[in-house]
Amino acid sequence: MAEKRQLQKAQTKERITAAALKVYSENGFSTPTIAIANEAQVSHGSIFVHFPTVDDLLICSLESFSDEIKKELHSLSDPGNDIASLLEMHIGVLIKHEDFYKRLIKEAVYLPEEARNAFIAIQSTVSIHFLHALEKDMNEERIKDVPFHMIFNTWMGLVHYYLLNSDLFAPRGSVLAQYKDSLIECFLTLIKNEKEVKK
Amino acid sequence: MKNCIACGMPMKNASDFAMCDESKDYCVYCARPDGTMQSFDEKKESLTNFIIKTQGLAAEAAESAALSMMRKLPAWENCFD
Repeated sequence: MAEKRQLQKAQTKERITAAALKVYSENGFSTPTIAIANEAQVSHGSIFVHFPTVDDLLICSLESFSDEIKKELHSLSDPGNDIASLLEMHIGVLIKHEDFYKRLIKEAVYLPEEARNAFIAIQSTVSIHFLHALEKDMNEERIKDVPFHMIFNTWMGLVHYYLLNSDLFAPRGSVLAQYKDSLIECFLTLIKNEKEVKK
Repeated sequence: MKNCIACGMPMKNASDFAMCDESKDYCVYCARPDGTMQSFDEKKESLTNFIIKTQGLAAEAAESAALSMMRKLPAWENCFD
């Protein structure tokens, strides 16, 4: 009986988290909790049984999103990935979660520190795969002599700029799906040594 | 698939494990050269430096993110209030 209650509790918590992710994605992170309760089809009070504060719900939702993205990136990656296939994989994962991710980068600066750290955790996972994919090229001087974090941030900057201005670049549909090939091609041309570009 | 108890990284291949030993619960990045697991302070420092190296964050922000990641991991559950 106690086990059944625990299971129900866990399921409700999961339902509230999933509803929060949907509502945040559509209306932003300052959406009132009543909207989340409605989406999850639970009473308003039930939210606070599982999450004592609004920030607890926000942090838990972001951590669950962060864990999901990290899991997908790890499962798709392979130690032998080259940088082009890694970029393709990264964009593929972002397309799957495009609306929520767009909301996250738009409002990240206003989030509490702990929630923001969940975003940095996603970037850490992306960056470790990035580092593995680029290490050989860096050692063999196939890419420009630029600090690794600048290469990584150039890619993130490019992707985030298109996402943040998606209404201008792609008024309908996924901006990443539409610009994926040009973003990857442009980034590779920017980081490769001239000899490699000519090849 | 096992996740590293000290940094959370999923360990898919033998080369992901400390000393390529799949019976270990921690990864190659969380091991000292002699194969033992890094201490809390060593891990905090290496994770902070990794974030600085790969994302270019300021030391303070990188350390806060490193501690936040470590807080959720089994290896360090007794190291936080």
